[in-house]
Amino acid sequence: MPDLRSLCILLMLVAQSFSSVALAATTVIGSKAFTESVILGEIATQLTKEAGFDAEHRRQLGGTRVLWSALVRGDIQCYPEYTGTLRTEIFSNRNISSDAELRGVLARQSIWTSESLGFNNTYVLGMRRDRAAELGITRMSQLAEHPALRFGFSNEFMERADGWPGIRARYRLPQQDVRGLSHDLAYRGIESRSLDVTDLYSTDAEIVHYDLTTLIDDGRFFPVYDAIMLCRDDVPDAIRSSLNRLGGQIDETTMRKMNARAALDREPEAQIAASFLRDRLHVSAEAKVQSRIARIWQRTREHLAMVGISLGLAVLVAVPLGIVAFYRRGVGRVVFAIADTLQTLPALALLVFLIPWLGIGYAPAIVALFLYSVLPILRNTHTGLADIPRDLRESAEALGLPRIAMLRYIELPLAARSMLAGVRTAAVINVGTATLGALIGAGGYGQPILTGIRLDDTKLILEGAVPAALLALLVQWVFGWIERRWVTAK
Amino acid sequence: MSCAIAFEHVTHRYQHAVAVNDVSLRVEPGETVALIGPSGSGKSTLLKLAIGLVWPQQGRVFVTDRALAADNLLEIRHRIGYVIQSGGLFPHLSALDNVTLAARYLRRDRQWLDDRIAELAELVQLPRDALDRFPNDLSGGQRQRVSLMRALMLDPAVLLLDEPLGALDPMVRHGLQEDLRRLFQSLNKSVLLVTHDMAEAAFFSQNIVLMREGKIVQRGSYRDLIDAPAEQFVSDFVKAQRGLHAEALDA
Repeated sequence: MPDLRSLCILLMLVAQSFSSVALAATTVIGSKAFTESVILGEIATQLTKEAGFDAEHRRQLGGTRVLWSALVRGDIQCYPEYTGTLRTEIFSNRNISSDAELRGVLARQSIWTSESLGFNNTYVLGMRRDRAAELGITRMSQLAEHPALRFGFSNEFMERADGWPGIRARYRLPQQDVRGLSHDLAYRGIESRSLDVTDLYSTDAEIVHYDLTTLIDDGRFFPVYDAIMLCRDDVPDAIRSSLNRLGGQIDETTMRKMNARAALDREPEAQIAASFLRDRLHVSAEAKVQSRIARIWQRTREHLAMVGISLGLAVLVAVPLGIVAFYRRGVGRVVFAIADTLQTLPALALLVFLIPWLGIGYAPAIVALFLYSVLPILRNTHTGLADIPRDLRESAEALGLPRIAMLRYIELPLAARSMLAGVRTAAVINVGTATLGALIGAGGYGQPILTGIRLDDTKLILEGAVPAALLALLVQWVFGWIERRWVTAK
Repeated sequence: MSCAIAFEHVTHRYQHAVAVNDVSLRVEPGETVALIGPSGSGKSTLLKLAIGLVWPQQGRVFVTDRALAADNLLEIRHRIGYVIQSGGLFPHLSALDNVTLAARYLRRDRQWLDDRIAELAELVQLPRDALDRFPNDLSGGQRQRVSLMRALMLDPAVLLLDEPLGALDPMVRHGLQEDLRRLFQSLNKSVLLVTHDMAEAAFFSQNIVLMREGKIVQRGSYRDLIDAPAEQFVSDFVKAQRGLHAEALDA
């Protein structure tokens, strides 16, 4: 049987290595999972550091909801946002008519807003120029005349009140073929002609790159999306006034050019932010770009922390639970019903669901991975015990050992092979699922994958995917070794 | 009135069938009783009742004069050695660890263990190096010898043997039969042995108990069963067994 004590020590070491990653009095700045937000987040971070504060950029944390609840909870202190998004998405039920009113509402929630950064990044709908010309479409109202058009919208846009549901109602659009997908993949869909229409940000660099036509919003549907910085009230004044220096400094052209440098020229966002601060604000910010090895090592530590801790906790909980479930059938039925249900929850939904309680970062990622690990371990512990042949069980009882001793010396060792197989399954699933942790700020191998998808950079995707695959193989190998070394029935 | 094992009007039902039906039976100290009968006649269930693997719905079971109950079960089990057809050895433990598991749990000291092992290995005629092997690396006969050592380890008053030789080939079986009978006689244990083979029952004991459908049909020596059958079934059973073993018995 695997030695539990050495497992515990291993877990403690992993926990320690990851707590050193955790931060104390650092200003954490978040950004959403698209290029422009990451650049703005990077600019804000460097500006805060330049003002003499410790700052950390938690990049590409997912969508508006994730960032907003992280801000309200205090997991992050600041993040770049758009006024239209706040009005229609966060305060949709309040009917806020102007940006001035919005600032008042935010202030009452203890959220500080910076001056407008200087550009309006509104939503637009875009089509390939040749496709639009062929159909003679220039305005959004004309879309209603072409019911066979294929729409592909970013996932957030599919749901937002100022997104597809609103457009469909305002313009009475009949299209049936409407799919949700990642914003960055939508461009590729348009280019390959598998989509006709998608949502764009007006400052997207790709509009020029892919030669797209943006349709005129003749029904005046989209509100104004002025870019601003949001901070919690408890952020020091010095940081806030520092961020206010960005007011009016970024016009649409500037922003689009920066987006192009990141998305098309593959320049690191940190470097783009630094050169902007140098040129525009005469701030000497330093762009620290990690080497690839250092980057992968950090991702590995983050990934191992997520997988190791969640798996360790799952073993500590699921093994005893499996034993109880085996000996108390009533309890077993309830336990398995719950565990089965948990397993069917979509990973991303579970992660977002956990944010209001646990914030962003390691905690929700570990809890989600833990929940996914429980069922295989539980199931295999139960099966391992149930599969012990009856004559062995009776011979054990006949020796006159008490319940606990029988479990320890006979039943658990006999079930160990099955239990270990369960842990192994859970570990391999975890290595894969943990890549989603990047969406909620836990880092790991998902980080380069996410960035790679965002920037259409295959090399970056592989930088996350290859180590993840190798780690899965390593996990298989380690468990195979443990099984041969300790568990094989002689 | 001391007895090794006593069943008093014991009845045990499984979900759909009565396995043991109002059975009363006594095994005196030092006596060997052979239980015989067709499959499903309740002989194995009777052994399991004696060691508390199943509990009677009616009646009581006594082992070394004490009524079996939940609070004295472990203690009574230490006074019983139990051997089953497959040996029931734990595959993850060496033969030695199988034999000493219960004694080590009871914290018998090293010297005691070593002496006892040496004594028992001699008694069951198991080569010393076989004890270091794992059950899957032992022959069928060696496995049963190890299982017997395990049963005898705590020097029990009572041995319950459930077809201990049933899975062995004839040569090995014959050797072990001789060894077992010698062992029963020398140790003076009370033995309740289940077999489905009349010749084996007769070989081990003058006390044969023939069961059928959960009830005892007749108790007596092999001669008694032949000369004074209690009912037609006894004659039929003996005849069927004789047919199978006629040559062996006549030789």
